[in-house]
Amino acid sequence: MSPPATFEAHLTALLPRLRRFAHALSRNPADADDLTQAAIERALRSKAQWQPGTRLDSWMYRIMRNLWIDTARGRARKEKFEAPPEDAERVGEDPRESLHASLDLKRVMAAMRRLPDEQREIVALILVEGFGYREVSEMLDLPIGTVSSRLMRGRTALLAMVGEQ
Amino acid sequence: MTDADDKFFAWLDGELSGDEATAMEARVVADPELSRLAEQHRAMQAQVKGAFDTVAEAQVPERLRAALRPPQGEVIDFATAARARESRRWGSLRQWAAMAATLAVGILVGTAIPSRDSAPVEVQGGRMYAASALNSALDSQLASAPSGNVRIGLTFRNQSGAICRSFTEPQASGLACREDGRWQLRGLFAAPEGQSGNYRMAGGMDPNLAALVDSTMSGEPFDAAQEKAARGKGWR
Repeated sequence: MSPPATFEAHLTALLPRLRRFAHALSRNPADADDLTQAAIERALRSKAQWQPGTRLDSWMYRIMRNLWIDTARGRARKEKFEAPPEDAERVGEDPRESLHASLDLKRVMAAMRRLPDEQREIVALILVEGFGYREVSEMLDLPIGTVSSRLMRGRTALLAMVGEQ
Repeated sequence: MTDADDKFFAWLDGELSGDEATAMEARVVADPELSRLAEQHRAMQAQVKGAFDTVAEAQVPERLRAALRPPQGEVIDFATAARARESRRWGSLRQWAAMAATLAVGILVGTAIPSRDSAPVEVQGGRMYAASALNSALDSQLASAPSGNVRIGLTFRNQSGAICRSFTEPQASGLACREDGRWQLRGLFAAPEGQSGNYRMAGGMDPNLAALVDSTMSGEPFDAAQEKAARGKGWR
């Protein structure tokens, strides 16, 4: 007999998407994987709070987003006193770089990083992760009008940064 | 008007339906500036999503997958687990138990239990009690001193204060709690096929049993001294 799929197995299947979301939120891939790991650990600890039958992905995205908000506050304070991340300065430096997927990722991550946090999370959830407005409004506990106006501002800024290259 | 507004983007994202969608579609088609904007945004989204998709398509780093892997094949030493209060090992056992909590508990596989006099289980009044070798092991054996076919795992009190002990024997593992001076079985789980007859089960606590232990236990498992003292008092 094959064992029923476990919580861990479902979570493992979600890992690629969770990492993608983490990369959309974080300033570099190392931070993104740290965030993913922290989200896994928190999920395992608070597993009892997840209600089987409800969507595990929304629950996990919410956990990750809350962790990111928590750490983003501390990070923002710290970065005030640091030089701006060099990746941002190199955006578009060499047009050939964009041919390479990982450099393309770097460039897009740098652009995402320039969005205010509250726009970045919504751009990530809707444009990258493919959630609907209603789902995101429930996930983040925000009015749907707030979701759509933040999305509009975020994507307009992104278009100006990414689209012109 | 050519201003891109909430409606325009909602249409772009497939959030409009019916008449609203049709109306917006007509508006975009009729307005070259809006058409171009729609095109630019679609291209931008494809580029952004495409870049992040490379992450989702890449192999997940080992350290992330490892955090979710059940500790299969890892030998849980019950005696150590019983003593450990804050140890990592116990942490992973609890994690196992938490994971298994979603599974149905209480699968009794009678075929795993040999019948006749040596049967480790007897049924009375619809309840199952430990018998013969299993009963004596539960009565006298300490986790730290395994002997015979039965190994004792954790000893602890349940929510109603009765002492419970988990055990592993070649064909099954289970949990028994003290009830009216006898060891009443609370769960019995057959060893996975092909694993009976050896102690492979001791290596990875049956997840069903782990879940049962987790949901039954009140407080911490006994350490060796507490286990011994409880035996001295007849498991009361």
